[in-house]
Amino acid sequence: MSIEVKNLVKTFGDKRVIDGVSFKVNNGETLAIVGFSGSGKSTILKLICGLTTPDSGEIITSEGDIAMVFQYSALFDSLNVADNIAFALHERKELRKKYTEKEIKNIVAEKLELVGLKGIENKFPSELSGGMQKRVSFARAIVTEPKTILYDEPTAGLDPISSTLIEDYIVRLKDETHAASVVVTHQMSTITRTANRVIMLYNGKVVFEGTPEEMLRQDNEYTKQFCMASLEGPMRMIAEN
Amino acid sequence: MDYSLKKYYKQSATYKIFSGIFTYSAAIISTLGDISLNAVEVAKCILKGQIDRRELIEQCNRFGISSLPITLSIVGMTSVIVASQVALEMVKQGGGNFVGLLMTMLIVREVGVIMSGFAIISMIGSSLASEIATMRVTEQIDAIKVLKVNPIRYLFVPRVLSGLIMMPPVVAIAAAVGVIAGAITANLTSGLGYLAFFDSAWLGIYMKDLSVCMLKAATFGAVIALISCSCGYAAHGGAKGVGEATTKAVVWSFVAIVILDMFFAMVFFF
Ligand SMILES: Nc1ncnc2c1ncn2[C@@H]1O[C@H](COP(=O)(O)OP(=O)(O)O)[C@@H](O)[C@H]1O
Ligand SMILES: [Mg+2]
Repeated sequence: MSIEVKNLVKTFGDKRVIDGVSFKVNNGETLAIVGFSGSGKSTILKLICGLTTPDSGEIITSEGDIAMVFQYSALFDSLNVADNIAFALHERKELRKKYTEKEIKNIVAEKLELVGLKGIENKFPSELSGGMQKRVSFARAIVTEPKTILYDEPTAGLDPISSTLIEDYIVRLKDETHAASVVVTHQMSTITRTANRVIMLYNGKVVFEGTPEEMLRQDNEYTKQFCMASLEGPMRMIAEN
Repeated sequence: MDYSLKKYYKQSATYKIFSGIFTYSAAIISTLGDISLNAVEVAKCILKGQIDRRELIEQCNRFGISSLPITLSIVGMTSVIVASQVALEMVKQGGGNFVGLLMTMLIVREVGVIMSGFAIISMIGSSLASEIATMRVTEQIDAIKVLKVNPIRYLFVPRVLSGLIMMPPVVAIAAAVGVIAGAITANLTSGLGYLAFFDSAWLGIYMKDLSVCMLKAATFGAVIALISCSCGYAAHGGAKGVGEATTKAVVWSFVAIVILDMFFAMVFFF
């Protein structure tokens, strides 16, 4: 068992954003989380990687690093691409001892090649397109060989070809590292290409859980509304406050 | 009934004033708490020797070199203003021999360090705060945490240390420039000779003044960096949040160094 989430609850102010969510993700498995904007998907990822603490509930992850690919890349804009990717290797004591500067350089080159961006080591994040930033962010996240990988809308705002590229990396990485992955996404292609299972969030609760095929069958009112992108159905966009 | 009463009560001036005072004090206390906690964490890292040499050198460059032009001009010009106001009058009243003494004492004890402090707040403090606030609202700080690096160690330590290390030399150079500017101004406005100025100038400098001046400079440098980083670190809510954090950093730094200066004056010169 690589990620196990039990009865998670998280409130911001008096708003219960996550209200009793439970799921499991095995090693070598990818779970997709779907739901409206503001339904608490990013919050779940932040809870799993420890950026925020739950009000109650339990999160168990397997030992080793947890990686996160952030929604807006979150690259360090004062560092060039190479230093961004090598950040953990430079800044973490145990890793700094493990590698020489030359080895770090090779690792950076290797990760850049993996995401199809060979030779851009000396560019700065602001010089890259959104898709390229996402891919660099991807390379930075996997440099420590994590056992758990979280993706926050990895393909949002990308053109279809860049999306396909990213989806392929997600699958390839899962096959190579046998990591447990969670992908937050709105995009049907990302769900069908990368996920083994899907959960749908609404009002802080899980309203659907199943395989992508089951989701596409639309025999649940929620999945039906989501797949049809319909305004009619059990889910309502509630204006904030 | 109960509800409408509550609503009415909430509109009353008394409620507004007290709730305003309460919110305001709570915010001040929480900011002070933040700053102290960060200070403790920074001290821990420094004691454990967790100092990133590359970052430290870069921050020292930023703190020292880039702040020098503005600091020198502000201290120099303040000195010109003061000298042009007092030199002629003192010479007329037969106090020409004390112009040098007055100017150096003023600059070494107060003007040099507090004016440099103001210059550095506007130049460095604001840029530290907005830099770290931007990193916060664009989730770069979250990224640092997820990569299991301590953001206080990575961001605060080199910046606070660079303030501690670089502010004394900056103040020393600024004070020297201030004294020279004072001498030139006195000479131009009142015809006071350079020899007369510097003869009395030496009388105005005690070892104690110089060491307190350097101690103050180091403290101010570290405090400005710490407050600016802390305000940036606590930022939230997009571009507006960055702006608010920067304003807060500047205001808090100003107030802090004036209070500290008062404290130094009471401890060392009474
Ligand atoms: N740090 C926070 N403070 C207050 N409210 C927050 C915070 N983070 C998220 N929220 C609120 O929680 C809800 C879910 O946010 P999020 O997890 O980002 O949604 P999603 O990623 O599904 O779009 C939103 O309504 C948001 O306003
Ligand atoms: Mg989100």
